This record gives sequence, structure tokens and C-alpha cells, in this order.
Amino acid sequence: MSPRRTPSGGRIDRLRTIRFTFDGNAYTGHQGDTLTSALLANGVLLFGRSFKYHRPRGVLTAGVDEPNALVTVLRGEVREPNIPATMVEIHDGLTAVSQNRFPSLAYDVSAINQLGGKFISAGFYYKTFMGPVIGPLKGTRFWMLCEKIIRRAAGLGRAGHAPDPSRYERMNAFCDVLVVGSGPAGLAAAHEAAQSGAQVILAELDQSFGGSANWSGETIDGEPAATWASDVVGELKTHDNVRLLKRTTVWGYYDGNTLAAVERVSDHKDTPARGAPRHRHWTIRAKNVVLATGAFERPLVFPGNDRPGVMMASAAMRYANQYGVLPGEKIAVLANNDSAYRAAAALAKAGARIVAIADLRPDVSAACRKVASEASAELLTGHAVIGTEGGKKLSGVKLAPFSAASGVSKGNARDIGADCLIVSGGWSPTIHLASQAGARPVWSDDLQAFLPPETGKGWIGAGAFNGSFSTAEVISEGFSAGRKAAGQPTLETTTLPDVEPAPLDPNPAPVFEIKAKGKAFVDLQHDVTADDVRLAHLEGFVSVEHLKRYTTLGMATDQGKGSNVPGLAIMAEALGKPIPEVGTTRFRPPYAPVSVGALAAERFGDLKPDRLTPMHDWHLENGATMYSAGLWFRPMIYGDPGETIEQAYVREAGATRETAGIVDVSTLGKIAVQGPDAAEFLDRVYSNVFSTLPVGKARYGLMLREDGLVFDDGTTWRLGEHDFLMTTTTANAGKVMQHLEYFLDVVWPDLKVHLTSVTDQWAGAAIGGPKAREILASCVTGTKVDNEALPFMGIVHGEISGAPVMICRLSFSGEMAFEVYSGAGHGTHVWEALIEAGKPFGMVPYGLEALGTMRIEKGHVTGAEIDGRTSARDLHLGWMLSKKKPFIGSAMMDREGLSASGRLELVGLISLDNRPLSGGAHIVEEVDAANPHGSLGHITAACFSPALGKYIALALVSGGKARHGKRAHISDPLRNRFGPVEIVSHHFFDPEGKRMHG
Amino acid sequence: MLITCPYCGPRDVSEFAYQGDGNRTRPDPASTDAEAWNAYVYDRLNPAGIHNEIWQHAGGCRAHLAVVRDTLTHDIKSVRFAREHGAPPHGRRTSGAKA
Amino acid sequence: MVEQLSPLEPVFRPGSHGNFVEGVGVTLSEIAPGSIVQLAAWPGEEKKLMATIGSVTGLKLADGAGAGASSERCSAFSFAPGKFLVSDASEGLATAFAGKVTAAIGTITDLSHGRTAIRIGGPKSEWVLAKLFAVDFALAAFPQGSGISTTHHDIFTQIQRSGPDSFDLYVFRSFARSFWKMLCHASDEVGYEVR
Repeated sequence: MSPRRTPSGGRIDRLRTIRFTFDGNAYTGHQGDTLTSALLANGVLLFGRSFKYHRPRGVLTAGVDEPNALVTVLRGEVREPNIPATMVEIHDGLTAVSQNRFPSLAYDVSAINQLGGKFISAGFYYKTFMGPVIGPLKGTRFWMLCEKIIRRAAGLGRAGHAPDPSRYERMNAFCDVLVVGSGPAGLAAAHEAAQSGAQVILAELDQSFGGSANWSGETIDGEPAATWASDVVGELKTHDNVRLLKRTTVWGYYDGNTLAAVERVSDHKDTPARGAPRHRHWTIRAKNVVLATGAFERPLVFPGNDRPGVMMASAAMRYANQYGVLPGEKIAVLANNDSAYRAAAALAKAGARIVAIADLRPDVSAACRKVASEASAELLTGHAVIGTEGGKKLSGVKLAPFSAASGVSKGNARDIGADCLIVSGGWSPTIHLASQAGARPVWSDDLQAFLPPETGKGWIGAGAFNGSFSTAEVISEGFSAGRKAAGQPTLETTTLPDVEPAPLDPNPAPVFEIKAKGKAFVDLQHDVTADDVRLAHLEGFVSVEHLKRYTTLGMATDQGKGSNVPGLAIMAEALGKPIPEVGTTRFRPPYAPVSVGALAAERFGDLKPDRLTPMHDWHLENGATMYSAGLWFRPMIYGDPGETIEQAYVREAGATRETAGIVDVSTLGKIAVQGPDAAEFLDRVYSNVFSTLPVGKARYGLMLREDGLVFDDGTTWRLGEHDFLMTTTTANAGKVMQHLEYFLDVVWPDLKVHLTSVTDQWAGAAIGGPKAREILASCVTGTKVDNEALPFMGIVHGEISGAPVMICRLSFSGEMAFEVYSGAGHGTHVWEALIEAGKPFGMVPYGLEALGTMRIEKGHVTGAEIDGRTSARDLHLGWMLSKKKPFIGSAMMDREGLSASGRLELVGLISLDNRPLSGGAHIVEEVDAANPHGSLGHITAACFSPALGKYIALALVSGGKARHGKRAHISDPLRNRFGPVEIVSHHFFDPEGKRMHG
Repeated sequence: MLITCPYCGPRDVSEFAYQGDGNRTRPDPASTDAEAWNAYVYDRLNPAGIHNEIWQHAGGCRAHLAVVRDTLTHDIKSVRFAREHGAPPHGRRTSGAKA
Repeated sequence: MVEQLSPLEPVFRPGSHGNFVEGVGVTLSEIAPGSIVQLAAWPGEEKKLMATIGSVTGLKLADGAGAGASSERCSAFSFAPGKFLVSDASEGLATAFAGKVTAAIGTITDLSHGRTAIRIGGPKSEWVLAKLFAVDFALAAFPQGSGISTTHHDIFTQIQRSGPDSFDLYVFRSFARSFWKMLCHASDEVGYEVR
């Protein structure tokens, strides 16, 4: 005897046959089947092995709460593990495999763990992985080896290594009303909200709208509930203001009524549509939310409750009514409330035999008796299942008289043959999203479950979420929730729809566990038993939060959807406290697992956008090796074939000092500082004075932070009386902008200054070297560039090859140099004209490595030295601190700590062993490779200097100038580099600046 | 979390940059009162509850905003331009408003 | 005059792309206006600035956040308090405003080279843009002519609704190529035409 497809019935398309494989075996199913319904229809009962004990497991539920039937879905080389088979829609070509078994699902070597079960109890991992604290194995690696083996044996699916070629996307949505769940309550709410004209989004996690209407077997106003539901959906589709999202799990409820959802767009398809994502992540900002998320039926805890063939009563009914699948042919029932009777009736109607109904309650209602007798089932009130028979599938159950008051069975047990046991232990409203939103659940004695508070900030509940289980009432609640959420007045009178059959009472007897001999599981997915919970209590865990972490109860991928309340009840009993006093844990996002791809969406690969200079393509075409500097891409070197990086930059820097070189400086941050108070503003933000700068001149400026340390440097050009162009370092452009904006907005709102980022407006080319002026003179029109027209730090306007340019004579390389700015759209045009003009002179393009080399030779500081710890004096820039005016940082820069002796100061280093130096290496007085110590400071930047013919570096060294001329050593244990250096001035090359002043 | 920018209307928090405690007052620039400067540069309130904060709508109009926020609930009590103490002159952009 | 080189040039592939079998959902194009200028008024001078914009461009700007308008030749919208982005099909807009926007009214910043203008049009424009920006693009929330400032991750973007289903996006030139690629990627699903 085994599960099978019924000859008729269900909401599947029996004319459409779908082929798929599970564990390598080919099966068929129908359109509308899930993997579980299709496999059950094929007689498959065994779906996986359990987490710790490798016990055989079947399918317990029909939905997102499934703890047992987890599978790995394969798409080509890509594995997606731990997917509840209940949520997998079958499609042609679907390939799924079971998990946590070796070598096969039916014959699993680790199943031996079942015998040693006592040793893998609560807190097993915490206890075990500490390793022996005494004895010969203490402190050995032996335990780490054991850990590896244990970790392999325990666990669920295995993640793959193949890159996922699927596409994922993110979507933003805004609405007046978001309805979560499309059962009768959700549909009613969406209908009412849509009528009012509000923007409505209806999200349903399943493949079809309707929720319980698809399997309840009820009639609503005379028509089947499923028809009623599809009529409502049909009408919703006609509204422009409604967006219907199925296969969409709302998984997070965040501040400001921002909700996160994931739509499984293509998982149910053989091949996704072109350009369509596999998952689409929705961020929904809703004015109001209607939570119509329903309720989960709770399992009962009894020995053998994990045997394949044990199933939730509502799930069994759903398999029969929605999928036309009987989970068994001889079905026994275990219940502590009336709702299981409805399932028994449905299964009997679909063709199964109900062999017995064991009800934990001493007596049941007449309505229940009637259903039982109509199903020809033997009704055993005051009875419990105290054990299950069978190996990999259920063959029978042990029934015994039971006292609901004591929770123990008494009297003689009786064996009844059954291939399926359906269970109902009551209902837990799905309050996860409300709990995420901060709602404190309220314990209901009637329902023996946590209910949401009546209403929350930003959301309204409806239906089983509220603990309402009569479909007529549920629909009425949905209507009013929808009206309220859309801001409509409540209707004075409402007529309840006519729902048949009459509802049965879902309120259970307060029984969660049947105590008898054998393993009784609370959390099936993490293999946590009732005894584990009690053991945790004995070991002193009294807080529910600690219990959860110690036993791992409710911490598996199902997040304890079925196990939370039973676990809490057992803990409460052990503590001798009522359940509400023990409390409940707060639910956290995600409500159900979310693919990482959906969260990353379009941010894959390099993650960040590329920022390209106007001359980017020229660099690539001319042999540049690029590297990234923040978001920017910049040429590192323009290497000749066969050249090393060092050879290339030495050649480029050498050629620049010999004749001329040109470098792309478009990445420098550029900020337009405009307005009548611009000069005053600059005086306040720079440590030196700018108000005295004449129009047409530039000045080097230094900015401090409020705490007196150096922030950034750069030149600022006065283009007009009220018009300055500030340049910043590439790396700090954004930070400087924000810093300036802060002061204008928050501290000095009275200043008339506007700031605009114009970094992208200008292309910048710096041309330097002894021949630079000649080259420029040969191609610039409209202005002279001689010393008179263009003195050091002067600015002129002209044209190059027909494009307007602005030229400032300033130097970073220490050579006679000019920065040529043109409109970014003309950048390549001007650059190419300069390259052409430079050819007769032997000018070379150079990259950042050569730029860095020349600045090290000159002792200019960059971000490596302006590291947030150095003061202006540490960098020998004390001369830039104006005494005539206060500026940002002036009040704090003279603090004791910042002027103390022994601070790290900028110096130069020369390698005395003619070997390269590296950034980050430490400076010591005496080398002690075995025990490096006594650091005097560290190297910030290093290179081979073509001008000096030596390996040199800039460093921050304690004592600074006082050590000039002294010998020291570098100590770089990471790269095993030790060797002698001479400490010198950071001005290695042309200290008087003769070359640039020329 | 959403912050309702007085100019741009409600926007996702990802568009905003936190710019620090809004309770600080900068001493007079010429002041040499070390304690006042120390308090301004280093002291921060960290209340569990209502807090005055400065946020910049960095991914929007770039204005700095004085935000009153409950740090326990993330409830935003009020938002105004940091540079102004009165009502914003330009009117608030609301969803559905005509330009 | 030397023509501006588009930063999109190597990735700009005219024609239909993506899932266009059942028609293209959006059309993507580079507007390449001759001038883009930012105008900013001192507090209290906004009205005068708007009047000046009107006199130079012929566009009538309503009062209020994000207010804007566009014509065949010009467009203008407010994107921050007292700040406007104005574009013109021809060059020289900054010069046209010079002298009219006096130091007492505000400032002029020429961004003709610094911003790249991209137009997305078609029935799926709102859908595609919703993938990139956390902004409500529905007509009721984002009326025709009006503008906003927003961000797609690191890419600051100013957007004007230029028609019932078309939007003009202004991004920093250095980001334009990356942004264009992202926009094309996001448009794949609905099919897009580049022209």
C-alpha cells in the first residue's frame, strides 16, 4: 500500500504530463503539481535523511513550513540545496536529488547514528568541539579532525561551486495597500482596497492565488471556494491600480513600512524567457499593509512522529483536494482539535480508508462524531498514538488510552495497521511579519497559540492570521481590513457570505506532547527531541532564547514554523510555568530562505560601476595597463613589449625628466566654489589664505579636519572674483565635497556660496619636463605660454586644435609642468593634439607608477602620508598654517599630543643594499629578524628613482629631521626583507625647485 | 527606513548619509576654550530614545537635514533643512502632488 | 567648433536588443544637448531666477519642489532647493545666462561636458527605471516636466519626466558608460531599441 493519484479531482491539469527526475529516476506528473505531490502520486514516500541521526524522512506538510522533504535542485552544474520539495513546481527537465545521505537515500551508512542517539543530544556540538580538557588528546589536532568528520555527517544539502549563470533583479514598488497572502481574507481585502481606487499590490507565495480556497472543499455563496477565488482574481486583474504577484514570498518587514519580497519568476520554467530573471527581489514601500498570512497547523510530539507516512492533517487534505493525491490508503488520525475531522472526511471522499481517529480529548462534539461516522472511521476518544511501526515507511500505529490532563498514556496499547497517520495539534497563526514589525504576540488560551495584537502601526490583520478560522468571518474581516487599509470608512452592516459546510472548532486541548518510550521530535529539521529540551532545562537553560540556541530548536531553514510552540510548551512544563510567562522568541527576517542572488541582484561581478576618464579608450588603445583607483580606472604604465612594471615606470619617469611626459589627471576631484563669499569660505576651510589670491592664479591649499589633523590637499584656481575651481585628491573628492557642504549648510548657512561637483566637466592632462613649454607653445593658440604670460601658478585660456583650453602652470612632478584642462567631451581631441605636438620632442605618456616615482623623488605627500594620523607639522607643512585667521582645525591642531616630540615625521630613505623597499615595512635601529621589535616608523611609499639611480622611499619616522644622515634598518618580516637604509630629507631631487620654476 | 526630505519627499534611507549628532554647537572660530572644542569635536550624545541628528540627502538634493528620530523605534518625528529654522520655503514634495 | 565625443560611443549599439520578439518595451537614446547648465539662486531669489530661465528658454516654470518644463529645444527643472538644471539643443547656454543671472541672484555652472543625458521612452519605462531607483515613477507621483535627484548605488542621477512614458536622465559623464550598460541590462527583459 502506498500513496497514489486519485482517478479524478484536484486542480491539476491531467492532460499535461510533465517529466522530471528525482535521485536519477524518471517520473511523470501533471501541470500544477509540486515535487511532493508528483512524487507521492508516484508512490514515493522517502524524501530525505534527517540532520543529525540520518533517520528516514518523508513529507510532513504541503507548504513553506516543510521541515523534512528538503531537496537539492540541479540546474546544469549549479546546485541549489535545501529547497522544500513542497515549494518546487515540477516542469519538464526538473532534476532534483535528496540530501544528507550516503551512498543513497535508501541505504545510508550514517543511519547508525540513530543507535548512538543518546550521545548526540542537546548542546552536542558545544560540548564536543571544546575537545578533551584532560588526558593524552588534550590540546592535540585530533579533535579538529573529528570535527571535520562530524560536520560532514551532520547537515543538510551541499552547496555547489559552479558559478550561477542565472539573472537576478531588484525592483522597487510603491503602493497604498500591500496585501500579503491571497487566501479568502487576502482576496477580500485586495478586492475592497482595489474598489476604492487605491494602488494595491497582492503578494502570494504559492503558484496560484486563493490559498485555502484551493483545497478547503468549501462552497462560498453556492460555488466552490476555488471558483469564488478565481472570480475575485479575475476581477482584480481588470483594475489598473492592482499589481498581482504570485510565487512571491514577502520575507521581511522593515521600518517605515518597507517590505522585502522575492518573486520566483523562472524557477517553474524549463528555460526562462530571454532577459527574464530567475528571482526578482521586490522592495515595497506600502502606506498600509494587510497581513492575511494564515496559520500553520502544528504537529504533535510523540514517539516515532518522524516516520515517513506521518503528515499534517491539513496537508493531507490539500494533497487530496488540490493535487488529486492520496497520501495513503489506510489512514489513521491523531488530533487534539476538530479540524482534523474535516481532513479525514476529505480523504475518505477521495477514496482512502480512515482506519481510526485517536482524539486526545476525553470527548468530542456531535459534529465530529457525525464526520467520523460518515467516514466510517473508528473514533477513539481519550486515545493517543504512542508509537509508530515500520522502517522507511509507516506500516502501523500504536494506540493507547491517554489522559489529556497528565499527558501520559495508560492501559494497554493496541496496534492498528495504517500507511498514513495524519496529525493535527492545533494552529499557530503566521505572525512572523507582524513580529518583525515589532508587534508583541499575545497568548490565546482558547487557541493555545500566540496571536498578533489587534492591530499594529502600519498594518491590519485579517483571517487565520488573527485566529479566525470560519471562512465566512475570514472574508468579512478581509473586507473591512481592505477598506481600512485604503482609508475608507467601515461599513455599518455587513452580510457574511454563505459558506458550507459549517466550520468546525479549531480550538485544541492543551496537549503538545504524548510522553511515551522512544524518540519524539519537536524540531524535525534539526532533530531536536522533547528529551533534548528537558535536558537543556536540567543543564540550567531557563530563558527561551538560550534554549533555542543551545538545542538549535527552530534554528533550521524552516525557522521553527511548526516546532516553536510545541518546544515552548515543553520548556514551560519543565519550568513549571504557564507558556505566556516563558515567552516567545521574536521572529526575524527572512520569513523563508531568500536566494543570495536575489539580494545581490544586478550587483555581481565587479560590484561597482567603473568610472572612466574622457581619455580612457585612448589609454587602452595605446598599451596602457589600467588599474582601479577607487571607482576610477587609471593607466598604471604604458608598457613596451617585454618590459617589467619597474622597467616601464623607470623609462617613463626618466623620459619625463629628460624631455617631457604627459599624464591623465582628469580624476582629480574638482569643485566649483562660487558666490560672493567664496573667498571667505575658502579662508575658513583651508589652513592658508585664499582671499588674497588674484584672479588668474592658483594656490596650493591644505585642509585640516576639526581635530587638527590633515584632511586633504590640492590646488585651487581663482577663475573670477566670485569663482574658484578647487581641486582635491582623487580619493577624497567625495569626502571633501560632503565636508564643505556640511559646513555651508549646518555651520555657516549665512555664507553665499554654491558648491558643484565639476570633476566630470573637465578633462585634465598634465604635461611636464624640460621640453613641456616648447611643446605647449607649438600647439596652443590664442595665448602665450612663456614665463611672462604664464608664470608659475598662473592660469591662461586658449585653444588647442580648435578646442578651448584652460592652462595652469603647476607641477607635481617637480618639472616645468602645465595642467591643460578642456571640456571632457574634447578631452581625447586635446590629448591627441598634445601627443602629436610632443612627438618631435620625444614626449612619452606616463602612468601612475611614474607619477608616483616622481612625487616620491620630490617628497610630495599623498593619501599614503595623509593617513588621518599625521599633522601638518609631521609632514613639514607647518608653513601652510596661517596665524592670521582661524580655520577648520586651527583650534585643535596645537594640542599637546599633536606637538609632542617623538611623533612620526616625514623623511626620505635610501636603500643601502640596492634592493627594493616596500610600503608598510618598519624602520628599526637594529635588525632582529627572529623577534622584530623597536619600530621607529614605517615606509609609506617606495620606488626606484631614475633620477638618483637608487631605491628610495618616503617614511614616517619618529624624530624625523633629527635622524637625517643617520643609518637605520628596515624590518619587514612579512616579506622577509631586512636591510640597511639611510634616513635623509624627503626632498630627494632638486630641493630648490629650480626645474619647475625654470 | 524612509526619511521624508523636506524637498524631495519620502526617500529610502540608502539615499541619505548620517552626518552626526545634531546637538553639538561649534565654538566661536576664534575661541581657545579647549574644553568647548573638545566637547564639540569628540562628545556625542547616544540616547535611547529621541535624538537630534544631522543627515545629508547625499543621493538626492544634497541638503543637510535636521532629523529628530527615536533611536529605539526608528520613528522619525520631524525633518527640516539644517540651514533653516523656520518652515521650508519651497514646499514639500508629496507623492501625487502636482509640480 | 570641435564636436563632443560621447562617452557611450564604444557601447552604443543602435538596433533592437533583448526580448523584443513581441515589440520593444523601451527605446534608449543619448540626447546630447549642446548645453547643460546648472543655475542656483540665493535664498529668496528663486523667483527672479525662474523668471530669467523663462526669458532665456521660453519655458514657464511653476513654483514648487521639482517643478519643470520642456520644449522641443530646451528643458529645465528644479532638482534641489533653489537649483535648476537647464539644457538647450544648441551650445552657448551658459553665455546666454551670463549677465542675466547676476551675482545678486545666484550662480551659473556650465556642465555641458560634465553630464551625459540619456532618454528612456516607451510603455515599460517606469518598469525599467523602478529596477534602478527607489523612486515612485507613477505619473501621479512624478508629473510630466518635473524633476528629481536620486541615486543608483554610486551613480547620482537627475531625472526629468519628458513625456507620459519618457524620462531624461542626467548622469555624471565618467559614470555614463557603466550606467548605460546597466540600463541596457535592465531593459533586456522587456526588449529595447537603441537609437
